[in-house]
Amino acid sequence: MNEFNEYPYWMALSHIPKWGNEKINWLIIEILHTKKITFDEFFALNEKEMKEEFNLLPNQITDIQKAKSELPNYSFLAENLFEQGFQLIPINSKEYSEILKQNLKRKYSPPLLYVKGNTKLLNEDSIAIVGSRNTSEISLEFTKNIAKKCAENYEVVVSGFAKGVDKMALDATLEYNGHSIIVLPQGILTFGSGIKKYYKKIIDGDVLILSTYHPKAPWSVGLAMNRNTYIYGLAKTIYVAESDSKGGTWNGVMDGLKKGRIIYIRKPSPAEKNANNMLIMQGAIPVDSFGKPIESTENNVEEKLKQILSKGQLTAKAINEKLDIEIDQKNLQKLLSNLLFVDSKSVSRKKYYFLKNSTPAQADLFSS
Amino acid sequence: MTRTEAESRLKSIFKLEKFYDDQWASISRLLNGERLLLIEKTGFGKSLCYQFPATQFKGLTVIFSPLIALMRDQVKYLKSIGVEAACVNSEQGQDENSKILDKAKNGQLKTLYIAPERQENQEWLDAVRLMNLSMVVIDEAHCISVWGHDFRPAFRRIINLVKLLPQNFPVLATTATATERVANDIRQQMGKNVALKRGNLLRDNFFLNVVIVNDEDEKMVWLAEYLSKVDGNGLIYTGTRVTTEIFSAWLQFNHIEAINYNAGLDALSRNEIEEGLYSNRWKCVVSTNALGMGIDKPDIRFIIHTQIPQSPIHYYQEIGRAGRDGKPTQLFLLFSPVDLDLPTHFIKNSRPSLKNYQRVIDALKEAPLGEWDLMRKTNLTQTQIRVIKADLLDQGIIKEVLYGRSKKYEYQFNAPALDTIPFEKLRIFKLHELEQMFKYIHLKSCRMEYLCKYLGDQNVKQCGKCDNCRNLIQQVNINDFGRSKIEGFRDSYFPELIIQSESSNIINGVAASYYGVSNVGSIIHRCKYENGGDFPDHLLKKTLRAFRHKFGSEKFDLIIYIPPTESGVLVKNFAEKVSRVLKIPISNNLNKIRFTDPQKIFNNSVLKKDNVRNAFSYEPIQDIIGKKILVIDDIFDSGATIKEIGKYLTKLGATLVAPLVIAKTVGGDIA
Repeated sequence: MNEFNEYPYWMALSHIPKWGNEKINWLIIEILHTKKITFDEFFALNEKEMKEEFNLLPNQITDIQKAKSELPNYSFLAENLFEQGFQLIPINSKEYSEILKQNLKRKYSPPLLYVKGNTKLLNEDSIAIVGSRNTSEISLEFTKNIAKKCAENYEVVVSGFAKGVDKMALDATLEYNGHSIIVLPQGILTFGSGIKKYYKKIIDGDVLILSTYHPKAPWSVGLAMNRNTYIYGLAKTIYVAESDSKGGTWNGVMDGLKKGRIIYIRKPSPAEKNANNMLIMQGAIPVDSFGKPIESTENNVEEKLKQILSKGQLTAKAINEKLDIEIDQKNLQKLLSNLLFVDSKSVSRKKYYFLKNSTPAQADLFSS
Repeated sequence: MTRTEAESRLKSIFKLEKFYDDQWASISRLLNGERLLLIEKTGFGKSLCYQFPATQFKGLTVIFSPLIALMRDQVKYLKSIGVEAACVNSEQGQDENSKILDKAKNGQLKTLYIAPERQENQEWLDAVRLMNLSMVVIDEAHCISVWGHDFRPAFRRIINLVKLLPQNFPVLATTATATERVANDIRQQMGKNVALKRGNLLRDNFFLNVVIVNDEDEKMVWLAEYLSKVDGNGLIYTGTRVTTEIFSAWLQFNHIEAINYNAGLDALSRNEIEEGLYSNRWKCVVSTNALGMGIDKPDIRFIIHTQIPQSPIHYYQEIGRAGRDGKPTQLFLLFSPVDLDLPTHFIKNSRPSLKNYQRVIDALKEAPLGEWDLMRKTNLTQTQIRVIKADLLDQGIIKEVLYGRSKKYEYQFNAPALDTIPFEKLRIFKLHELEQMFKYIHLKSCRMEYLCKYLGDQNVKQCGKCDNCRNLIQQVNINDFGRSKIEGFRDSYFPELIIQSESSNIINGVAASYYGVSNVGSIIHRCKYENGGDFPDHLLKKTLRAFRHKFGSEKFDLIIYIPPTESGVLVKNFAEKVSRVLKIPISNNLNKIRFTDPQKIFNNSVLKKDNVRNAFSYEPIQDIIGKKILVIDDIFDSGATIKEIGKYLTKLGATLVAPLVIAKTVGGDIA
């Protein structure tokens, strides 16, 4: 349990500029676990002791001294936060989300959460529904279906309070009397209007507002992008309603797949122009409009590509014709260049793809 | 820093030779980054204990003080010796406060005085994040404790702040009055490692006296006699705002220079009276205990209480403002047996009923609301709302949240149920304290010894100066001359209706009498609600006297009366009689254009205002344009109706609107 007077230390450490979560978490572990001293004692150390006992570099020590000089200011800010009904949850607290720690590890886990509402939601089974801001009706319908299913299963829906899928995920969850965590792309003190809007849901324990940033930080594109990591991190399972081939959703899903997360994605109809199929090719699991996984080998795009290419090298256009999946040319090219088992070479201004470690047969060059 | 070093700096900055040992003991702790509760009597030099370290620290010292007068004095003093000091308070303009906050952010100040309430202000909170802070001081720290004599909810946030400050950040809490229980409570609330320093409390220039009387008349006679012969200037403390008015009028009637002061006056008048107090403009200021805390006037020669204080701490604190110069100072407590009723009533009714707490909680479960919204939604008085919300805040059931510039209250998820045990404990404790004060009145032994012991100073000897030590028996002898004088005063005393405002041409009016202070209230009640007929002629006479007293030289063009909600033609008939006598034409044309409820069913001014807003119309407006108008009503309570009519008539073109009523209520006694 954290002593009441430790919160300003947590704040000062968590907001050291340009350190990043990994370094901050490292220092916190060094102080509290390795050296087993209190923050009080740590900040009372002189420069020499900091250098010798913590192997801190001179510029790091300068940063820490600056943080130290700001402690009384953080005390004022902390008092204000508590007074207004916010809670602070440090990474070593029992209330801190276990799943967030598991997903993001020491490297990415935020050292301090600012929250308002029902903190128990942090440790209940959770899912995230993600998608773009400008999204199709069909994606919104999907989002609504998933939210309803989660509400019925007592799962918490994590979303980011952006337009489109985020907003639908939240509103649908609450409509079906489910629970939701709103992950803010801004400081928690700058969210007054939202708190007012969800007042009843907050006091009834249905909603938790969460921010990882300085309480006064204004909304920014950078924070909105960065915040996605925490949405994915807070969820045990991720549903993707719709993704473009770039932007926050795409990056988030790719990042998640790289980290080995299981990600469900809505299987698009042939007419849709989004990048859902590409993400399926990257390993996301296709699901129907009610979130049920679609079992089918035909979706194993990688196997299919291997089969197609086993017969020889082909242009993207040719591959696309053989492949009966709706995907546009550019996206296919992008996918092909990402696949480890595919190589390419250019012949008279045309790009040919072939399986790695296979010598393309001369005859095939002219076969298509 | 050694004491020698410190004292050489003391000399160069403060032009003082050296610290008292007790001062230095405190100062060295603060310079060392410690936390300290300092309890020392008035005149010890507590302020130097933080002013000096403030000049030595690199950054800013923030001093929380509930006393604007004290802030002003100290800032003036510090500036005069070249220490950069300023205060932020509600009586200064927004611009001035902003400028001061900028200075503090830029490191151009050494000391900044602010009221604890400022911790609820967004601009302050945003600014303080950017200040380089070195020390926090809590002045009048007894306000932290509910067991003290002046608990203030705003200090709750200061205490939470102190708990959050880093361990090696110096914090000083000071007070002149804290029992052991209060001191322990403050220390415990301030967190770990808080040292305590307590000095002795005996004020050896105090002559304590108690005068037991039979009624208010005897108090008045005693006051007039005493003040006509005593040297120097001083204060009279009364129990209510109304008595400040009546007693000061009585003294003026006796040709004694007196003025009344209470928290109901506007800031400008209060400032003027405080300044006048310093320059001894009056023989005495008659006040509620709102005046005096933090007034650093050395030569208050006497303090007379005409109402028993709630406890010995209250009493010690209030008389503590006198005789700072160490010269002989007279303290009197006038007591008549019925005086216990008022404080007992206050204590027993200090908390609204549980039903009312629930009303507030229920309203806040629906939506976040501000104080006014709450008054609208619950029809509770402002005082009730304030008590309830302070308790709910204290118990973490609701939170006070800033929505932009306005404060709203939010119910909390997982809020605990209301715990009423603390209220009960506090009530029992306060009744006990009042009993201890009652004991003081009938004490046979040394009064100073009794007070000091009560306040935790066990090493005190007999003072040799109080009435008991000197075997004095104080008595009042009231003769016929005295009685007729009081009657003469009562006949010529008319309560003023303070209603003037910038936004309309309405001026302060006059009432013939107070509603509850005389039998006027019951007469009006009989006429209105028990078919007692027209208001009797003696009320008419008295009202006409009040008119001549207040508006003697004013020429009015028209009389208008306020259309009734339920009492029929009583006011109309009354106004017609006034019109006949004064030979001012009367008009029946002020009408209600919509239904209004009787004002008395609303318990707060917000609802009263809503009830009458845009409820009146007058035709033809030619009657009004450029005219001076006398507005007549029977009872003046919140003034909301008359204010509304004043605004309306001003809009139509009236150049002056003057209210005249039969009775003015005193603190809701009409209900």
